[in-house]
Amino acid sequence: MKQSPTKPSVVSLEVNGSPAHVMVAPGATLLAALRDGLGLNGTRKGCESGTCGACTVHLDGEATMACLCLVETLDDARVDTIEGLATSPEALHPIQEAFLEKFATQCGFCTAGMIMAAAALLAREPNPSREDVIVAISGNVCRCTGYEAIIEAILHAAAVMRRAGVSRAA
Amino acid sequence: MLAAVRAPETLVDVFQALTSDPDAVLVAGGTIAVPDLTLGTGRRTTAVALSRLHAGLDAIAVDGDVVTLGAMTRLSALERDRRLAVLAPVLAAIGSPTLRNSATVGGNFFVAGPYGDLAVALVALGATCTIVGPDGEAIRPAEAVAADGLARGSVLAAVSFRLPAPGSFRFRKAARRRLNSASIATVAAVVVEANGVVESARIALGGVAPRPCRAPSAEAALVGRPLDTASAEAAGVAARADAAPFTDAYASAWYRDRVLPVHVRRALLGA
Repeated sequence: MKQSPTKPSVVSLEVNGSPAHVMVAPGATLLAALRDGLGLNGTRKGCESGTCGACTVHLDGEATMACLCLVETLDDARVDTIEGLATSPEALHPIQEAFLEKFATQCGFCTAGMIMAAAALLAREPNPSREDVIVAISGNVCRCTGYEAIIEAILHAAAVMRRAGVSRAA
Repeated sequence: MLAAVRAPETLVDVFQALTSDPDAVLVAGGTIAVPDLTLGTGRRTTAVALSRLHAGLDAIAVDGDVVTLGAMTRLSALERDRRLAVLAPVLAAIGSPTLRNSATVGGNFFVAGPYGDLAVALVALGATCTIVGPDGEAIRPAEAVAADGLARGSVLAAVSFRLPAPGSFRFRKAARRRLNSASIATVAAVVVEANGVVESARIALGGVAPRPCRAPSAEAALVGRPLDTASAEAAGVAARADAAPFTDAYASAWYRDRVLPVHVRRALLGA
């Protein structure tokens, strides 16, 4: 893959279910591409070094820190961000509802990353234990809440989603 | 700072990219290299990403009791493979599930201390490394690769080890926090007992030297003795001679030297 060291290049991704072509500077991270290239600011820029989890998205279905990904290596990848969770502005995702109900968000900076980490957990394990939740968010730092409300919110969301799943199957 | 990214599709292209630019940096999972490159203020560098290789460096193969891990295998893939249950405590101790979706076997081998806990376990397991370069393929002990690294232009392709006998593998990592926390001291050991005494011991340490290392002094203190509190404590004290601890944000060199014997004992005895 040859490229001039100074020219931007175009990366093609599928973002929240739709094709997206984003122009990026050489060496840009997925985080920069989402925020600066596509204007999707829901994914936060915290430490930019993979230690805070604020930039957590789903890459090809797996929870991934966007600050660690060189976007030029991600042609044709599927990326899901916090913006893609709610089906409409009026219909939040159950995890988002749970964070509101359980007061699991204060300043809100960690929230998108926490929710994406939680969504990845619940997709894989619909009935997580408290320890499962703690492990799932072990890469997400929160300075405000002390984590308990976040853990409660995720367990509550899991229960709501299980009940909704059961009623759909009936 | 990052001036360009190459994502070669063949190993030949990787070798070419590394030799044509002396400052080029290999990127596997990117958990350490990408922040270094994007936040760094050093000279303009090219990143050579391994994630688009067609060589299939991300395969897990289990043939009898021989496990072969491709160097680009993500740590989360290891965690999900039930045949590798022996590695579960090692992987759970590395970063977070999100981080493990990016981190690779190979990356864990070459990362600077105090990171590299999987490499510590692989050294204890007596693993061998398959290394590929422009001149062909070579097999070297993981212990040597962990200590000396690789010649520039060579790439770690895979790591192989024999599954240990049930109950013989021990792993313990001491860290500041219970989860997602770098090593203060990591101890991995394969201890084989016969006729009531230790017949062989491979002990590897992490977090207490610049690179993952064997602990021959600790091993010598165990072999031929029953594995009990006395011998485990002797091994722990002896391990201090095998370590060369450093000071970082997690712990001082003094502290690491002070607690290493305790963690060696706890790793060996489970208490």
